[in-house]
Amino acid sequence: MSILIDDSTRVIVQGITGRIGSVQTQWMLAYGTKVVGGVTPGKGGSTVEGVPVFDSVMEAVKETGANASVFFVPAAFVLDAFLETIDAGVKLIVIVPEHIPVRDVVKMRSYAIEKGVFALGPTTPGILVPGKGKIGIMPASLFAPGRVGIISRSGTLSYEFAGILSQSNVGQSAVVGMGADPVVLRNLADILELFEKDEGTDAVIVVGEVGGEQEEKAAGFISRKMSKPVAAYIAGRHSPQGKRMGHAGAIVRGATGTVDGKQGALRAAGVEVLESPIHVAGWAKKHKLS
Amino acid sequence: MRLHEYEALDIFEQHRIPVPRRGVAQTVHEAVHVAGEIGYPVMLKAQVLVGGRGLAGGIKMASTSQELKDIAEDLFASEIKGFPVRKILVCEKVEIAKELYVGVTIDGYSGKPVIVVCTEGGVLIEETVKNSPEKVAAIHIDSSFGYYPYQARGLLKMLGLNQQLVTSWSDVIGQLFNIATSYEALIAEINPLVVLPNGGLLAVDAVLEVDDSALSRIRHPLPDRVDRIENPIERRGREIGVTYVDLDGDIGLISSGAGLGMASMDIIGQNMKPANFLETGGGITADLLYKCMDLIMMKPGLRGICINVYGGINPIHEGAKGVVRYIKEHNMKIPIVAKALGNRQEETWEILKSGGVHVVTDPATESAIDRLYELVGKG
Repeated sequence: MSILIDDSTRVIVQGITGRIGSVQTQWMLAYGTKVVGGVTPGKGGSTVEGVPVFDSVMEAVKETGANASVFFVPAAFVLDAFLETIDAGVKLIVIVPEHIPVRDVVKMRSYAIEKGVFALGPTTPGILVPGKGKIGIMPASLFAPGRVGIISRSGTLSYEFAGILSQSNVGQSAVVGMGADPVVLRNLADILELFEKDEGTDAVIVVGEVGGEQEEKAAGFISRKMSKPVAAYIAGRHSPQGKRMGHAGAIVRGATGTVDGKQGALRAAGVEVLESPIHVAGWAKKHKLS
Repeated sequence: MRLHEYEALDIFEQHRIPVPRRGVAQTVHEAVHVAGEIGYPVMLKAQVLVGGRGLAGGIKMASTSQELKDIAEDLFASEIKGFPVRKILVCEKVEIAKELYVGVTIDGYSGKPVIVVCTEGGVLIEETVKNSPEKVAAIHIDSSFGYYPYQARGLLKMLGLNQQLVTSWSDVIGQLFNIATSYEALIAEINPLVVLPNGGLLAVDAVLEVDDSALSRIRHPLPDRVDRIENPIERRGREIGVTYVDLDGDIGLISSGAGLGMASMDIIGQNMKPANFLETGGGITADLLYKCMDLIMMKPGLRGICINVYGGINPIHEGAKGVVRYIKEHNMKIPIVAKALGNRQEETWEILKSGGVHVVTDPATESAIDRLYELVGKG
């Protein structure tokens, strides 16, 4: 058992002919991911790393039976390609690019939810299921198969936690980057729910950061619905204040968004709060996870 | 990018939101001239891009030209929360019957635009919201249908306002929502929206923060984004395409990823002080890391440097070449510790070691910071 990626997952790479798209295709294939096709409008008929390239998502899906997609598309073109991908029937989409206008993300999120599509990002490293495959950019050497789930707002911190756990002989059931933008395509609680239901996961680590209210909302979900142990780390205690502009965001959010506010909400939900990533090894040992 | 108040007021005025008579001054002489045209008393408002300006002494009233000269001289010579005052907005002083608040932002959790109103605006708005939630109302807007005036009318009726105020205020809300949409604003805000003794409304302050990721497609003229960054190192960081935040410590930091950078700062902060936050994003090249080294070295007095990067989307072996080239060209002596893991890590380590960089291979950032602490001592 695993979440999001299994033996039936067939991935297309959008923007496959670009510099990053082609390199990452190579890494995904090397990790055993079934990358069945790529899309770059105007480059149909060519191949990248032995993978056929199509002009449209519709053709790629029809020819390859793809059911998942990962984006290495320039930020300005992501909204258009995203809508195309949903209309072509793809049900799992990973949006790696950063700097997508937030009002585009608002539209993407709304359409994905309406159509029942599970999308991650923007600014996400994607998903990695150790030993099974990866959709995105996570560097495979840091991960090991096991039974601990990781969800992270930050890409690089998800690698840090996986690396520390792997070194302590604690493997992961799946590692999911939810994306670092102010609006993301799926909220933290939705991903926690996948891990709660997954028979291959015994415990979950939430890697959050200062700002927004994902962690506070997830705390409510954890106290109501989660039976598995959860640990959390919130980055940003020493981050400078004063970059905040205006009041509207703060007013909607009330007292939320600070490291203390997030830690307090999570503790109240029974989550073990870690003061530094390195403490995750001791937490895993205490819960006899391996 | 946040606009100055005077820039946002011009935009609000173009969209038929009532704003005060006003002018911008860059010298005391200009301030006197503007006040003469408006008529005393006037308000003097320092144009600095930081919140909480009123409570920090950046807003003053002047009743005579002599008083205005004294205040303007003081303001031009001062800093508000560390920001120098280069321009002063001179505004008519208006009679205030009541202060309201209206803001438009994107709610991160629901992923929708949201309009927030409060029947008690002013500098203490955040306390009001905390202590009197009944004075606040918010409505989320579905992006596929957009905003309709009945939504604002319903919101204001809920707060128990009279019909005259509901009508005039819902017009202002509609205009503000349109501005937020066409400027791709992260925040568009009026605080306070003043109710005049005759019942009319006036926006005496204006906040507009534009989405940086949308700048290239906004079809309105906008000021240059890089120009307005006051800190020279932060400005240079923006020019080379990285996020740099100047801090008051002496340990330089280069990280690939904001979360990793924040965690590194937290760990450095346990027994040393970070000199900066620097996040490269996903575009590392040899040239970019060469420039990042140059950037963090703009700050004098660094005692050590921590490089904390992952090779996921980033070719860290390329980045390592830039770091080593910088070290050799500048004959650097301060200790540099690097944690660089992921794709092509072994190759990266060899390159870094050839430049005298101390490489740690343990996955926890503590290992790098502890090593750096051993090398630089307590200082």
